[in-house]
Amino acid sequence: MVQTHHCEDHETVGENKEKRPKFFINDHVDILIEILKRLDGRSLCVAASVCRLWCTIARNDSLWENLCFRHVSPPPSSVRSVVLALGGYKRLYTGCVRPVRSRLGRMRKASWAGDEVQLSLSLFCVDYYERLGGSNSNGRLVGESSPSSLMFLCKPVNV
Amino acid sequence: MGNSPADFSQLASDAILYNPSDLACWVDSLLTEFAEPPPTCSSDFIVDPVNNQTVVNSAWTAAEPHTPQVHQNITYDEQQSLDNQLTVVTAMEEDSGIRLVHMLMTCAECVQSGDLSLATSLIDDMQGLLTHVNTVCGIGKVAGHFIDALSRRIFQGMGGGSVNGGSAFENEILYHHFYEACPYLKFAHFTANQAILEAFDGHDCVHVVDFNLMHGLQWPALIQALALRPGGPPLLRLTGIGPPSPDGRDSLREIGLRLAELARSVNVRFAFRGVAASRLEDVKPWMLQVNPKEAVAVNSIMQLHRLLGCEQTRDSPIDTVLSWIRGLNPKIMTVVEQEANHNQPGFLDRFTEALYYYSTMFDSLEACRIQPEKALAEIYIQREIGNVVSCEGSARVERHEPLAKWRRRLSGAGFRALRLGSNAFKQASMLLTLFSAEGYSVEENEGCLSLGWHSSPLIAASAWQAVPAWDNHMSSS
Repeated sequence: MVQTHHCEDHETVGENKEKRPKFFINDHVDILIEILKRLDGRSLCVAASVCRLWCTIARNDSLWENLCFRHVSPPPSSVRSVVLALGGYKRLYTGCVRPVRSRLGRMRKASWAGDEVQLSLSLFCVDYYERLGGSNSNGRLVGESSPSSLMFLCKPVNV
Repeated sequence: MGNSPADFSQLASDAILYNPSDLACWVDSLLTEFAEPPPTCSSDFIVDPVNNQTVVNSAWTAAEPHTPQVHQNITYDEQQSLDNQLTVVTAMEEDSGIRLVHMLMTCAECVQSGDLSLATSLIDDMQGLLTHVNTVCGIGKVAGHFIDALSRRIFQGMGGGSVNGGSAFENEILYHHFYEACPYLKFAHFTANQAILEAFDGHDCVHVVDFNLMHGLQWPALIQALALRPGGPPLLRLTGIGPPSPDGRDSLREIGLRLAELARSVNVRFAFRGVAASRLEDVKPWMLQVNPKEAVAVNSIMQLHRLLGCEQTRDSPIDTVLSWIRGLNPKIMTVVEQEANHNQPGFLDRFTEALYYYSTMFDSLEACRIQPEKALAEIYIQREIGNVVSCEGSARVERHEPLAKWRRRLSGAGFRALRLGSNAFKQASMLLTLFSAEGYSVEENEGCLSLGWHSSPLIAASAWQAVPAWDNHMSSS
């Protein structure tokens, strides 16, 4: 749940007007981070548009790292450098993990959670490779129609 | 095809809607055209289902016996007439579709027996019949491609040069779109990578030989998996075989550079070597520069069937290649092949198999919604059809054989099968679920995995290892 607050209140209501100090979440960034860490992807994106501080925190890749590995045993430390090299956790989550999880949602077994992440990582890597090709466009692939191997994840499930 | 609700909705979106109050006239004209010999038209396969609306009142009573009788139930209520319009269309189409298939088989029989004049007239009839069938999907589309291939065979002889003559650049583009549009190649890559990853376990110097590099789409996932394996990544060498580029551009090297950049990003020591060869049998083992201390994996995605000639001589290309593969002593050889029997000597048998196989494949492609991937994937498949049907001799390279035959052949050449394992199966199942169509299925068959559409297997993946005591066995017998 996103705790709403008003930025204007903070500017107009000075602390010396109140006898008791008012609790304001932005003063306690460590607690704020702990809360934001537990959000789902969509809420995290919504939280990023609340104010500049929240935006900065929500952009922090470690929050998205938590999201990716939430239901999975913590991955080995080597994973982080690989993911960062391929584009970061936010991109991994929004591009691969979330669509994979939602697509597999119907027939998911709990034991597959780790494999889902592995599959997402592989797809993420192929996507990075294709983006490499696009940016190096030397006439090999026509730029505007260069296919992305993640496009099949973007389309809705056709039952 | 058929009367399933999905087909109705498909037709509703594609059907040209006429004024419902004119429905009786439209049905009349449709039946009139059906009764008269249809005019010959060009083989352009994107055609409107019905072109003209000539009004002839008395013709429908003289229609052929199998013409559906639905027109008696037509009312002028709009919804009712729309449904009936669709019913008439599907019944007619199903009918036309069945007729097309029969005519295709008859035409193939004529080609086999050499009766080219009858075959030619059948081609004309079929092309006329195509105008009455929805060629945007279903049997009409596949039939169109087979009619084209048959007419090419009849009129241009067995060279069929234009079918196989696409430039390497074109082929790569089509292949890439085929990769995007349907899961067959993704299944092949992921399954092979899983097997290779497991075979490389514990080795610090590994060497992968890819028989058809294309854009190298298989290898990023393997590089990433090796980067993350417990114990750290090995030194990975990749040798990619591909056709030479015509205009002096070294496309193999470009792909190698891209893969190297990826490997560098994820801290995997990587070396690439490109071997340009227009045919796989031209490749000699010394070109691969295999180091005896490294673990070798040979990866063949739909390449081995190209080595099968029509004559079963002792030194056919397939035997030569298989024997030098054995000489490399690979830790694993991953083989993915089309699960089809398109290398039979009899033309009619081959044609029948191909018709069934490619109809199934086109069916599965219907679920793809992304363009232009779907259209280009269809062209890719169309080229395969053309090669299977209209080429002979050395021009026919699409000599698909089923897994059972490959098992016999590879066992006879000194290889033994490795079981692909539950991880590969799990990964393949998950991959399929991501593709939006519900009809794909993975099956396990004595350690090999096959991917199919509605339980018709279309592509099969297997893994092999050289039998070490083979030479002793051969010399003692």
